[in-house]
Amino acid sequence: MEAYLLNLVILISIYSILASTLNFIMGYAGIYSLAHAVFFGVGAYAGTFVATHFSASIFFTLPAAMIAGAVLSLILALPALRVRGEYFVAASLGLQVLAVTIFSEWKSVTGGIGGLIGIPPLDIAGFEVFKPNQFVFVTVVGLIIVLFIINRLVHSSFGRSLRAIRDSESAAAAFGKNVPLIKTISVVISSALTAVAGVMYASYLSFINVESFTLDTSVLIMAMVIIGGTGTQAGPIIGAALLLLLPSLISYLDFLPQTEIGSIQQIIYGLGMALLMIYRPGGIVGLKKQSGGGKK
Amino acid sequence: MVSSQVDTQEVLMEIRNVDRAFGGVKAVDNVSMDLRAGIITTLVGPNGAGKTTLFNLITGELSKDSGTIKWLGQPINRIKPFQAARAGILRTFQDLRLFNEMSVEDNILTSIEANSVPLPMAKSQRKARREKVEYALSRTGLIDKRHIRAKDLAYAERKFLSMARVMATDARLWLLDEPASGLDPNSYEKFLEILREEVKQGVTVCIIEHNLDIVIGISDRIAFLDRGKLLADDEPQTVLNDPDLRAIYFGERT
Amino acid sequence: MLALQLTITGLQTGALYALTAVGFSLIFGSTRIFHFAHGATFIIAAYLFYFVNVSGYGVVLGIAAATAGAIAFGLLLNRFVYVPIQRDEGSFFTVFVASFGIGIVIQNIVGMIFGRGFVTVQTPLSFSVELMDGLYVSPLAWISMLCAVVFFGILWCFLRYSNLGLSLRALADNPELVKAFGLNPRYISACAFTIGSILVVPAAIISGATSGLNPAMGHHVMLISLAATIVGGIGSVAGTLLAGLALGLAESLALLYVDSQWTEAVTFAILFLFIIVRPSGLLGRSAAH
Ligand SMILES: Nc1ncnc2c1ncn2[C@@H]1O[C@H](COP(=O)(O)OP(=O)(O)OP(=O)(O)O)[C@@H](O)[C@H]1O
Ligand SMILES: [Mg+2]
Repeated sequence: MEAYLLNLVILISIYSILASTLNFIMGYAGIYSLAHAVFFGVGAYAGTFVATHFSASIFFTLPAAMIAGAVLSLILALPALRVRGEYFVAASLGLQVLAVTIFSEWKSVTGGIGGLIGIPPLDIAGFEVFKPNQFVFVTVVGLIIVLFIINRLVHSSFGRSLRAIRDSESAAAAFGKNVPLIKTISVVISSALTAVAGVMYASYLSFINVESFTLDTSVLIMAMVIIGGTGTQAGPIIGAALLLLLPSLISYLDFLPQTEIGSIQQIIYGLGMALLMIYRPGGIVGLKKQSGGGKK
Repeated sequence: MVSSQVDTQEVLMEIRNVDRAFGGVKAVDNVSMDLRAGIITTLVGPNGAGKTTLFNLITGELSKDSGTIKWLGQPINRIKPFQAARAGILRTFQDLRLFNEMSVEDNILTSIEANSVPLPMAKSQRKARREKVEYALSRTGLIDKRHIRAKDLAYAERKFLSMARVMATDARLWLLDEPASGLDPNSYEKFLEILREEVKQGVTVCIIEHNLDIVIGISDRIAFLDRGKLLADDEPQTVLNDPDLRAIYFGERT
Repeated sequence: MLALQLTITGLQTGALYALTAVGFSLIFGSTRIFHFAHGATFIIAAYLFYFVNVSGYGVVLGIAAATAGAIAFGLLLNRFVYVPIQRDEGSFFTVFVASFGIGIVIQNIVGMIFGRGFVTVQTPLSFSVELMDGLYVSPLAWISMLCAVVFFGILWCFLRYSNLGLSLRALADNPELVKAFGLNPRYISACAFTIGSILVVPAAIISGATSGLNPAMGHHVMLISLAATIVGGIGSVAGTLLAGLALGLAESLALLYVDSQWTEAVTFAILFLFIIVRPSGLLGRSAAH
């Protein structure tokens, strides 16, 4: 039971980082990405690569993963953010599909479909973290640091610019905001922080393969943000906890076919997303829908 | 909030032979005019005359088919909207485009932060910024509404917030797209008073307006646009008394 | 010979891509609804046809069921999801998220009923005929192209000559205009969904008989539809058609140089190239805002 709980807290922390970093661009800047799992994966593979070939110290693995995530996101963001929002959805979907192929084919770095095994534990200043009761501490602290960074950004003039862009891009530009630049910076920051979750995930499981970084994962993260509440700080965490608890909740209901837990979980959150958009677009934490109100 | 005595003969903006067509429709057709410092130029004309399009061409929201625009003597032909804003040209939108989910105060605050990345700020700068926000809030009567989301404001308050965003900045030229339309007489008296006051302090204004009372009340100069063409750009009396223009304006076109 | 073979396969794929993508593009262009569940319409039509067929009711009933299912899904979604969302505020992304959620639901329900693996519909037409030395073409290739020609011919006449078609195009150009002319936007958007959903049906059925079906392919369908819509130019039906055809050809001809798992990379590369070099697309108007 204790092992189960520790595992759950660790996964919730890691997914909370993923959901919070996606929320940073989705909820504050209005950039909807279907490629979030790609940056999670890039972080995991890059961190693993450095850990196995060079040093497992987080002072090397984390920066390497963050730089890899940031550079890749720059390649996506630079062209795609100069045009309308629909383009980013399309481009990110394309990147996600392409990335899965690359993750499966680039055997020397990703181990192909089989993945990588024997990933070294996190090395924090010479101290090796691999026991779950130590690891839980690391992931929770990691989450807190990520939340702190996002919180500072959101409450600065940068955060105001993001929200202004989300509410009206043309008005933001008319008041001197360099919209493509600001959006690009936000995507780069988000992706770099996402890569941190990848490093933690890889060394926690000590095994990764492409299955963890597919479109399904991107969709799951997006569902966490939307169901929890976009544009709020608590929403993504609540969403992550809820959706990760869902499989265990479903398995308590024995009238449901146990082999279909994955599908049932996806049906529930798919339906949840649609219903929330109709009745409560702000998500669980967000504000209730107000009738009337302004347009555009 | 620009305070300096201005020479009203100085030409701030020089618009020359500007064209823009949408499909077959010439929305702006070979327009040339000057915007002079320290006065209110009113842009009038029937619906669809091309007034808003002219604003969009000035700020780079839309690209010109041909023609040139100079700002303070420099050509700004390929300017982007954010660069126009940083150069001191600000506008309001006919459909307001407030930052709906943000509070009134944040709407104004973000409008005066033209930087892309958060810069460390000296205490004095931060204080100056606060003062500008307070100034705009109190002048527009929104001081009690500062924490309310823009989308929850009443119509007239939304209009005033749209003005407040511009008032808090240091822009030299304001392009106002029907800022007073739909206001009740009380509100637009207040609005006119604000406008006159700001112009006295050195701001230059180009305003689109349909209401003839307001046009008469504030214009130092009137430019008349119809079907993309500039039919007049003159003293208010001259334009208002021209029988042909009156006919077009009051829909008695043959 | 290989090049010719790949060209014909490419045209077949391209014809089906074009049909699917034009369905999406028509709906998006005329209603501004980012109908991400278009991929789900495809899945529903394909599996209904498959189901009727394996149950032994034959091809004609299969086509009828697929068509009815696709239309019903499109209309119901519009009526019970999009209309309520748009009534209040309905930003582009709210609609997208709802549509996306429904797509996930459909994918998993179909997966639970029919299994998550690949299924194919066997028809006598699926078998390839050796036309020339080393050139194998199945009759379905010609049927795909014929379908595309017929459907687009009808669509073209409809958009050009019928009142309804003209209003659809007007709606794409300027939503205000339609209101000004006293047309009912609700009615027009229902028509857009009907037509858009019908256009998916041939592609869904023929894909089932050639490359096979699986419940997750809705995302692939959407990637193609989005790519074709953007490459063709948002709002341009003709552009989307051309782009769909070109994407199919490109994917197929790419096999001369790369392995088959990279075909989606080709789509992505083309999409990306257009976003960088020509964001307004082949036949579109300016895309910047
Ligand atoms: N983005 C656009 N795309 C296509 N046509 C446009 C666009 N913007 C404006 N037009 C057209 O250009 C013409 C001028 O429009 P504009 O909005 O400038 O008029 P206006 O003088 O501001 O009218 P109003 O008093 O109604 O605001 C109109 O025929 C309009 O339909
Ligand atoms: Mg106008």
